[in-house]
Amino acid sequence: MINQQQAAAPVLAVSQLNVQYGAFQAVKDVSFEVHAGEIFGLLGPNGAGKTSTLSAIEGLLHPASGSITVAGFDIREQPLHARANMGVQLQATSFQPELTISEIIRLFASIYGVNLKDAAVKQKLAEINLEEASGKKISQLSGGQQQRVSLVISTIHNPQLVLLDEPTTGLDPQSRRQLWERMEHFRNNGHAVLLTTHSMEEAEAVCDRIAIIDHGRIIAIDTPEALIAQHRDDPAVLSVVRKGKVTLEDVFIGLTGTAVRS
Amino acid sequence: MAALLRADFTTLWRNRRSFGLVLLVSLVILVSWKGLVDKLGGVFVLSSCITIGLTSIGLMGYSNSIARDRDRGVFQRLRVGPVSAWTIMMSRLIVQIAMIVLMTVLVFVVGYFVDHIYISPVGYIAGLLMAMLGGFVYLGMGQAIVGLIKNPDTVNSTTRLVYFIFIMIGMFGEFGVLGKKIGLLVIWSPYGVVRKVLAASLDPASWNMDTTWALLAAAGYTIVFVVLGVKWFKWENK
Repeated sequence: MINQQQAAAPVLAVSQLNVQYGAFQAVKDVSFEVHAGEIFGLLGPNGAGKTSTLSAIEGLLHPASGSITVAGFDIREQPLHARANMGVQLQATSFQPELTISEIIRLFASIYGVNLKDAAVKQKLAEINLEEASGKKISQLSGGQQQRVSLVISTIHNPQLVLLDEPTTGLDPQSRRQLWERMEHFRNNGHAVLLTTHSMEEAEAVCDRIAIIDHGRIIAIDTPEALIAQHRDDPAVLSVVRKGKVTLEDVFIGLTGTAVRS
Repeated sequence: MAALLRADFTTLWRNRRSFGLVLLVSLVILVSWKGLVDKLGGVFVLSSCITIGLTSIGLMGYSNSIARDRDRGVFQRLRVGPVSAWTIMMSRLIVQIAMIVLMTVLVFVVGYFVDHIYISPVGYIAGLLMAMLGGFVYLGMGQAIVGLIKNPDTVNSTTRLVYFIFIMIGMFGEFGVLGKKIGLLVIWSPYGVVRKVLAASLDPASWNMDTTWALLAAAGYTIVFVVLGVKWFKWENK
């Protein structure tokens, strides 16, 4: 559980972030905060700058300018401390295919300084209904099972910030609902969750606040309900409404356009 | 580091068929050269086989495993944790050094019992240490290749090609069958300098100024390959 003092300050603070690839500026002056006990969604079309923003937060790329702090630690000045306070679920479950599930869990637990005995590993697997899979390789699991393992590993050290990069892509409705419940469980336990997703249904269902990013800039940031209310009468939004009632997806397409991005 | 090492050694063990083949190359050559020991000398045979083994480990083993895991995103998954890039790479290198030690000891054992090559205890110890140092030339070269080329299949085919060129030109060049110019080139190539230094280490009494120059050349090759390899290396394939 996160204490009250930690809950007051933002767990993640991104300020004036700029990411440049040669002459191309992928992220432009992006600023937002994610607080403890909050699920924050970062939405955007392909190539909008979501992954670049996430990579900068994870410390995988050096931004051209701006600052990122995780639990008070600057990701550039104290990257290991910042990463120790975040749990990351990448888009692809990229674990060593030669290792068994329990070996992978033990490896990442050790990396995060968590000493897990065999019984604790079994307990972790039982929590995600995979107690029988401890000796299996990751490739022997279904997509949903892999995502569950990945989520367990991301949160094995009880991090203040959980980054989930399109975690429900390719999952069936049951697995997706189960993952939503896990996210809500993190939030209710005081964790901050940053979620990227292409599913507006998901964003509307689980996110407390969302930011819509397009062409590297945040173009809207608020609660899903407030965003819908603000743009209910926007002609661009009204022109894409499909079933009479304005949804978050209508707002998203109204703000980012109907053109398919590469 | 301990957790990473455990995982990397477990991965190596699970891939034991492929690393067994890497070790097998130098042993097969060692056994097949049994009849040449009297003509070429035991030290030449041992140093050639160890050099071939080092080339196999650095080019075939190390670079391919790095290219494969980079392509799978294994490094990116590790890098989002509180572990430095150097720790990840150091763990990988320690596994390769263990492979080098194993390969060198196997060459010594097979050389002793099958080829009846006897050298002094000091020669064995010096040879083992120099094999580890010589290994860095090829690990550096593997790093440079995997830094320059991103696609794991291209890395695989490139390392096989370089390996083949090294063995064929290296061995035949040293035998003098490719002419004087090629022979001289081979002597001062990464293959030649490592073999020369290894040979002198196995027989310390034969160490001379040429060996010292070869050692410096090997160090120079290592520095150049490692600097280029680190400079060019990208942790992801995008």
